[in-house]
Amino acid sequence: MKQQANWSPYDNNGGTCVAIAGADYCVVASDTRMSTGYSILTRDYSKICQLAEKSVMASSGFQADVRALQKVLAARHAIYQHQHNKQMSCPAMAQLLSNTLYYKRFFPYYAFNVLGGLDSEGKGCVFTYDAVGSYERVGYSSQGSGSTLIMPFLDNQLKSPSPLLLPAQDAVTPLSESEAIDLVKTCFASATERDIYTAAKYPYFTLFSEHVRHVLQGDKLEIVVLNVSGIRREYMELRKD
Amino acid sequence: MKFDASGLESHVLRGGVSDDLLSVFPTAPSFEIPGATDFDGFQKEAIQMVKPAKGTTTLAFIFKDGVMVAADSRASMGGYISSQSVKKIIEINPYMLGTMAGGAADCQFWHRNLGIKCRLHELANKRRISVTGASKLLANILYSYRGMGLSVGTMIAGWDETGPGLYYVDSEGGRLKGMRFSVGSGSPYAYGVLDSGYRYDMSVEEAAELARRAIYHATFRDGASGGVASVYHVGPNGWKKLSGDDVAELHYNYYPVEATVVEHEMAETSTA
Amino acid sequence: MGTAAVDVPMKGGFSFDHCRRNEMLSNKGLKPPSFLKTGTTIVGLIFQDGVILGADTRATEGPIVADKNCEKIHYMAPNIYCCGAGTAADTEAVTDMVSSQLQLHRYHTSRESRVVTALSLLKSHLFSYQGHVSAALVLGGVDVTGPHLHTVSDLYIYPHGSTDTLPFATMGSGSLAAMAVFESKYHEGLARDEGIKLVTEAICSGIFNDLGSGSNVDVCVITKGQTEYLRNLQTPNPRTYVNERGYSFSKKTEVLSTKITPLKELVEVIEGGDAMEE
Repeated sequence: MKQQANWSPYDNNGGTCVAIAGADYCVVASDTRMSTGYSILTRDYSKICQLAEKSVMASSGFQADVRALQKVLAARHAIYQHQHNKQMSCPAMAQLLSNTLYYKRFFPYYAFNVLGGLDSEGKGCVFTYDAVGSYERVGYSSQGSGSTLIMPFLDNQLKSPSPLLLPAQDAVTPLSESEAIDLVKTCFASATERDIYTAAKYPYFTLFSEHVRHVLQGDKLEIVVLNVSGIRREYMELRKD
Repeated sequence: MKFDASGLESHVLRGGVSDDLLSVFPTAPSFEIPGATDFDGFQKEAIQMVKPAKGTTTLAFIFKDGVMVAADSRASMGGYISSQSVKKIIEINPYMLGTMAGGAADCQFWHRNLGIKCRLHELANKRRISVTGASKLLANILYSYRGMGLSVGTMIAGWDETGPGLYYVDSEGGRLKGMRFSVGSGSPYAYGVLDSGYRYDMSVEEAAELARRAIYHATFRDGASGGVASVYHVGPNGWKKLSGDDVAELHYNYYPVEATVVEHEMAETSTA
Repeated sequence: MGTAAVDVPMKGGFSFDHCRRNEMLSNKGLKPPSFLKTGTTIVGLIFQDGVILGADTRATEGPIVADKNCEKIHYMAPNIYCCGAGTAADTEAVTDMVSSQLQLHRYHTSRESRVVTALSLLKSHLFSYQGHVSAALVLGGVDVTGPHLHTVSDLYIYPHGSTDTLPFATMGSGSLAAMAVFESKYHEGLARDEGIKLVTEAICSGIFNDLGSGSNVDVCVITKGQTEYLRNLQTPNPRTYVNERGYSFSKKTEVLSTKITPLKELVEVIEGGDAMEE
C-alpha cells in the first residue's frame, strides 16, 4: 500500500467562549485551558484579547491561528490610531475582523471568535463569526467546543425577539450586569461537567503536597466586563479533570 | 491567474503622508493561497473544518410596481442551527438589494465589496450604477474565482434608469436576467407557491403576501430554512422593508388552530 | 428446552452477518455509529497483603462526557475483580461472560476461582476475536496461590489478547500519567494505607492530566478472604458554581383541557374453566 504523509496544518486546541451584551455593559468570558487530543497543554492560557479600548475578542480553535489573527488586528489597530488619533469603535473592529478573516478565505484562520464591546452610544454589543468572516450582531453568543451545550441554555434564558421583525420589538437582554455574570458562571460550570475540552480554580486542597497543587493551578474561567467605568477582569475556578 | 482584490484595498490608506509607514503592511492584500500540491484536496478539507452556512430560501420577482424580494433567516451548520436571525437580504445601496444563499461569508463579503464598487461608480460617473452593471461586476469577480470553492447564489434586485431590474448570479459564473427567481435549498417549495400565484399586474400588497407565503411554505417543508420571513419592495424611490414575521407565528395565519372534533371513544374489540 | 424462535447463531457469541455489508458501506463513506468509550485511567498494584485496583469514573463519547460516575471495576469472582478500559459494552460483556464461566467452574469444582483461570478465559476470548472486541483490562485477585495482577490487552499489541503479569500496572488513555506516579513511588511490600494512597494518587494523575479520564476515584482492595469495594473513595471534582437565585423557565406547556376515557373491561372471567395444560 502506498504510504503518504498525512500532515495537517491545523490543530484544535479546544476551549469555549461566551459573550453577553446588556443595555450598558458587555460580558466576555472564556475558560483558560488549552489542550490537544487527550492532553492538556496548559491550564492557564487566556483566550481573551483586548483589541481596543472598547472591544474585546475571545477566540477558540487553533491557538497558532488565533495568535496570528490577534497580532494582525493589533497591527491594524495601531495604524488606525496613528492615522485617526482615536480608538477604533467596536462595530468598526467587527468589520475589520470580518475582512481579516475573509482575506484568508482559501487558507482560513482556524479560529472561532466572538467580539464583545460597547458601541458609540455606550450600549453593549456582541458580534459572532464563523471561521471565514461571516458575522452578525447579536445579543449573546457562544463559540468553541462547549458552544452546543451552552447555546440552548442562553437561548432559553435570554432569547429576545428577532431584530428582523417588523414592526421592530425591543430586544435588549433583560439581565443586570451581576445577573449576566452569574449566568456566564453557571454556563461554564455546566459546560465543564460534560465537555472534556472546557475546564478551568482548584476547589480542594487536602489530597496532595504543595508541589502537586502548584501544578494544578489554573483552569479558570476568565470573565471580562466592559461598562461605563471601564474594563474589569474576574476569575472563577473550574473543574480540573 | 489574476485575482481581483481591488475591493480589499483600504481606500483611506492610499496616498496619504503615511505611505512609507504603510509599506510595511500590505495595503492591497491578495488572497493567500496555501502552498499545497493538492489544492483541491486541501480546499475540500479546509471547507469541511469551517463549514459554511447553507440551507436557505430566497426569492425575488418583478411585477408592475417594482421588485419584491423575500428571504428566510436561518443559518445552519450540518444539523446545528447556528443562527435564526441572519440578514439574508443585503442592502447594497438605497436602490439595490442582494440576496444571500450558499456560503454566508462569501455572500456577505462580496456584497459588501459590490457596495463599495457601486459607490465608486457613482462618484466617478455622477450617476447610479445600473442593476445590469452591478450584477455583471459581481459575476465577473465570481467568475475569476471559479473552481476555487466559493459558494454564492445571489439575486441582485434594484431600480435604475431603465426601471426594475433582477439578475441571478452564482459562483459557477452564471448570470441570468429574469422576472422571477428563487434560490436555495427551499427554492423548489417557494417556486411551487410563486409560480402558481404570480401575476404581473399584482398590487404591492398582493405581491408582498405572495412572497411571504412562498417563504413560509418553503420553511414549512425545508428543515434548513426558518426563522423570520423578511419581505422587501424595491420601487422607483428605492427599497423599503415591508414586513418581517416569525414563520412560527405565520403558521397560525396560514393554518389557524381549529377546535378538535369529538375524540374517539375506545372501541370494543371482538374477543376472538 | 425447545428450539429458540429467535434467529441467533448456533453456538452463541457474535454474529458476523453484516461484516461485508458494513465494510462496503464504510468504503462508500458511511460513518459507523460511535460507541461509548471509557477513555480511562485504570490501575492495579500488589501490596503486602494482596491486590489494590483503582479506576476513574468518566465515560466519554467523543468530546462529550456521557457518564460522570460510571463503574469501571467489574466483579469477576468474590476474590477477583477486573478494571476495564476500551469500548464500554465490550469490557462489560467480556467480564460478565467470564464471571459466569467462573461461577459455573466453582459449582463444578467447589473450589475458589483462581486468577489465572480468569486470565486464560479472557485472553482466549479476546484472541479468538482478533481485536474486534476492544477491551484493555487490569485483572487482579487473591487466590490459593497468593495475590496476582495481570493486564489483558488487545489494543496496540499483536496478537490481540496478549497478557502480562506485573507487580503494578496501568491501562487506558491515562495510563502514562498513572504509570509516572507508580514508577516513581512504587516499592515492594507496601502497607495497605500506602497502597491505597498510591493508587488514588495514580488515578488522580490520570483524572487531572488526561482529558479522557475524570470525575471520581473508585478503589477495590482484595486481600486473603476479604474484598473491599471502595466506591467513590474520593470525589475531587464537585460542581464549581451554583447560582443561588436559581433559574426560571418562562414558557411552560399549558394544559388546555383534560379528559379521561376509562378503559372498558374486555376480559370475562369464567368460573370452572379448563385446567391449565402442562
